[in-house]
Amino acid sequence: MENNREVLLKVDHLCQYFRLGRKDLKAVDDVSFEIRKGESFGLVGESGCGKTTTGRSIIKLYNITSGNVYFKGQRISAGTRSYQDAISAARSEAAKKIKLLRSEKNVDEVRKAEIREEIKKINEELGAIVDKNRALIKDARSDSKETDKQYVQSLLKTLEEEYAQKFRAAEGDVEKLKSLKKEYNNRCRVAKKSKLITQIQMIFQDPIASLDPRMTVRDIIAEGLVINGITDKDYINEKVYEILEIVGLVREHADRYPHEFSGGQRQRIGIARAVIMQPEMIIADEPISALDVSIQAQVINLLNDLRERMGLTILFIAHDLSVVKYFSDRIGVMYFGKMVELADSDELFKNPLHPYTKSLLSAIPLPDPVYEKQRTRILYNPIAEHDYSVSTPSFREITPGHFVHCNDAEFEKYKQQVK
Amino acid sequence: MNKEIKLSVNDLKISFRTDAGKVQAVRNISFDLYKGETLAIVGESGSGKSVTSKAIMGISAGNSIYEGGEILYDGQDLMRIPEEEMHKLRGDKIAMIFQDPLSSLNPIMRIGKQITEAMLLKNKANRKEGRVTFNKTLAELSELIKKALAENPDVNVSVAEVDKFIKTFDDFNIQAIKLENSYNAARTATEEMIAVIEDLLFLTENKQKVDVVSMLGLVKRRLKEINDKYFASKYEDALKAHAAAVASVTRAERKKAGILDVAKKLAGGNASKNEASAETVEVLKELEKTAKQMLEQPQYNFFRIGYYVYKHPQTDLSQMSADEANEMTVKFLNEDFMDAFLSLVKIAVQYSFDKTVQNKKDAIEVLENAVAFFRAGTFTAQEAEECCKNVNKSVLAAIDPLAIVKDSVAYTFGQALHREVEKYFFYIKNNPKEEARFARQTAQREALLAKGKKVDWKIVPKSVIEPEVQIETIVSVLNRVANKFKADLAAAESFDAEKRCVEIIDYLKEKASQVVYTLTKRIAKEKAIKLMEEVGIPEARMRYKQYPFEFSGGMRQRIVIAIALSANPDILICDEPTTALDVTIQAQILELINRLKHEHNLSIIFITHDLGVVANMADRIAVMYAGKIVEYGTAEEVFYNPQHPYTWALLSSMPDLDTNEKLDAIPGTPPNMIYPPVGDAFAERNKYAMEIDFEMQPPMFEVSPTHYAATWLLHPNAPKVEIPKIITERIRRMKERGGNHGE
Repeated sequence: MENNREVLLKVDHLCQYFRLGRKDLKAVDDVSFEIRKGESFGLVGESGCGKTTTGRSIIKLYNITSGNVYFKGQRISAGTRSYQDAISAARSEAAKKIKLLRSEKNVDEVRKAEIREEIKKINEELGAIVDKNRALIKDARSDSKETDKQYVQSLLKTLEEEYAQKFRAAEGDVEKLKSLKKEYNNRCRVAKKSKLITQIQMIFQDPIASLDPRMTVRDIIAEGLVINGITDKDYINEKVYEILEIVGLVREHADRYPHEFSGGQRQRIGIARAVIMQPEMIIADEPISALDVSIQAQVINLLNDLRERMGLTILFIAHDLSVVKYFSDRIGVMYFGKMVELADSDELFKNPLHPYTKSLLSAIPLPDPVYEKQRTRILYNPIAEHDYSVSTPSFREITPGHFVHCNDAEFEKYKQQVK
Repeated sequence: MNKEIKLSVNDLKISFRTDAGKVQAVRNISFDLYKGETLAIVGESGSGKSVTSKAIMGISAGNSIYEGGEILYDGQDLMRIPEEEMHKLRGDKIAMIFQDPLSSLNPIMRIGKQITEAMLLKNKANRKEGRVTFNKTLAELSELIKKALAENPDVNVSVAEVDKFIKTFDDFNIQAIKLENSYNAARTATEEMIAVIEDLLFLTENKQKVDVVSMLGLVKRRLKEINDKYFASKYEDALKAHAAAVASVTRAERKKAGILDVAKKLAGGNASKNEASAETVEVLKELEKTAKQMLEQPQYNFFRIGYYVYKHPQTDLSQMSADEANEMTVKFLNEDFMDAFLSLVKIAVQYSFDKTVQNKKDAIEVLENAVAFFRAGTFTAQEAEECCKNVNKSVLAAIDPLAIVKDSVAYTFGQALHREVEKYFFYIKNNPKEEARFARQTAQREALLAKGKKVDWKIVPKSVIEPEVQIETIVSVLNRVANKFKADLAAAESFDAEKRCVEIIDYLKEKASQVVYTLTKRIAKEKAIKLMEEVGIPEARMRYKQYPFEFSGGMRQRIVIAIALSANPDILICDEPTTALDVTIQAQILELINRLKHEHNLSIIFITHDLGVVANMADRIAVMYAGKIVEYGTAEEVFYNPQHPYTWALLSSMPDLDTNEKLDAIPGTPPNMIYPPVGDAFAERNKYAMEIDFEMQPPMFEVSPTHYAATWLLHPNAPKVEIPKIITERIRRMKERGGNHGE
């Protein structure tokens, strides 16, 4: 694999917690990965392990709890919980220390002065930590707002440069200058409304539930453009027809309603809706699991075509391992909100290291009766498998590009295994 | 293969009535299901796999039309038997697991109740049914004996004597039932006591809240109820000792409970946390051991003992061991009563059989007349009705009232005939209307086309059946019964009256003991917990009380399986049981189903669209497309030597772990079954389609004795076609691997 391609999306210690009564449900817990431009990244795991939540957090359907998501080097969302936690942890620790000092009894004046001094020092340290984290929180909050402003600015700048030339070329021709001016204004208006996040689009699992039954296909597909402020009907129609043909539908389909289509065609509409925004990245959340067998291959082929044609980067979320293997360049395996293994797809299937990955791979059904009848499934029991009482696990690189969630002892073990 | 056929589907045809026209969901499919095998039905949605399974269960949708064919189970045609008969099969003999576990469970009922509900209801119904059938069969028997005697002057038995025999039989059976009831009550009490003890021990072990004193009270009450002399006589002393021990620990426990506990209990009825002491646990464990021993005692045969006790009311046989008592009483019963009674029954059986043979001969004649009558084709509705009635009467008369397994063909004949005759008149009335509508629509469409307009609707094909064809159907219904009767007559030579007698007596005996078999809630709970453990639910006793939403998807599916297994079915129909689950859970559920199949010797119909899953489960595979089976064979044959282009397409459209090339997607979508294609349904999406594929439906070509495929490519004159490379490559890889993938 080419490792020197530009990093398009960087997920850094992403945490997504949900309130569940008094407790937090850790749907995604400390997940980090990078997706490079033009690559297809697969995310697998059992249901409820946080694959979909990760996808939705990236596209800002949820406000993330902590961690950062960078898109094209810009921080598009950031959580503040980790900083808040740091503040409260520092506070309680300081309070504990102070209490300990104050509880000393029968002390002379010298010691008293010492204690006073120490308390002062502790408070100063605490103040420093609090200030630092508060600054970080402020940063995080402003960053996620700033990104769009910056993005708009950069768009406007490129537009200005582009049209400055055109204006110069058209100098003297009043008519042309006028029309150019109009065009420029239009495009400026669109640019002012656009957001960085629209560069990431999502395809949903259930094509029936994700399409509004009361909108025609044209409206559904064009909605993104309309929201972005494009008012030119002809332009929109042209775009819609173009996209419909790209995804393998015909112009006539534009005036129909979603219920008139079969499952595969509906999913194509979903894809068309995502693609029309000319995104750089698509998050495909189980795009084929609700489809029929014979249709699944059509959709996979379509996604593959689009990827080549438009240079898309795809985050492919699925639980069907054979499909993920076929479709993805790199695969991340998730288990209970944690990313347990990440590697190139061939490498992952050849050398699975984490016991959960092994168990997952051993459960793939294959169309081969002789092999199937003697396949033994490897069981995964996290309590028996890992002893994390001694050292806490983290996400480490075993061989270049192959990461596993492990602690020190396991790290050594896996290294041995790879050799 | 000479395996026992459990279920056989022949030429089944089912359609659905919709606003747009008739959808032909299943078109002439046939398959057999052998005992202990898994038959997988594969196909995409809308191919008719679920419709088939629902037809087998008798739960087809309201708008379905059953157009022909049969589903044979145990000699009965499931498409024709009345709903009352179906009640006895559905769930009991044929169980079904659905795709979505959440929608097949009731969200506001605890899991335990859902598992035990059917058991308890069935038990209640069985008891009632046992009583009714016993009385009915006995009455019929006495009637027949009397009739037989009246026509048979050789045997010198008066009517009064027959009545006496029957009364004796009835009375001593009542005596037997009384004894058995008391025995069963004691047994039930013992089982319940074990259940209570297990509950108490479980709660104590897991440090849960438990009211020891009241639980001990329950144990004590059950102990008192174990007083049947046949059940408990050998354990009287042991039971007394146990009772004393339990009483003493109860006193100790009561003392232990503080004033606060008592007050709390009085106020709220809730027990505080209260552990049973080690001593109590010890005593209870001992008691449980004894109880289990008691349950394992050899059983008395109350049918025999009942007669002895009936004759000698003062005797007590409980001191004898079960074997001795059984031995002694059977001798007494045979000498004193049974031999004479059996000879009487035999006369009746022979008489009724001879009479039915005669009736069958008559019925065949009537049937032949009816065939001629219908063939003539000149009859009014009234005449036809009259004829139907007559035929049905003579056919019903030809059913032997003393046969235990009733002749289902003859039984369901009346309705079938009536339905077909009704259809005949319906078509006579409706055909012209249909023709007119069809002509009108065609004209309309052509007019539009002539105007150069675009027409985006199709003409709904006419659903017309010529009256002549319908008459042939009626004749075939008549002939079926006639043929059945002829076969019966041919087999009449080898009729064994003795065997039939024994069967009747056994049947009565079974019904009698069915009356007194009671299943209480507590025992049902124990059974349910055992089932839950069997399907792999950990901490079953704890989870028994939970609601469905507290379970994960895989666990819910396990519960659905447990419910399906609670009646010990013969056939299990799994309708996409793993589609809603993910890979690991799917593998677990498949393993579970496979294990249960071996343990219970189940026959399974496994419906899915995932070929990978099928490879694991199936012994044989049927691939369905557009309501037809296009290929069927053993798993190895279908996967290693697929013949039908649709099977190729299915196999090549899914990537496996080694696939790198572009997938061979199947273009287009399945045909609309309102307008079924004339030729091969798959032809339009098939790149190997030949001209004949659009004109004629291919027959089933034999590839090997167990492997069939419906494609013209197998015709000797067809051009040779290469299997797609993606499949040949995969098969080559699979063969090289030799089933040792990943090792």
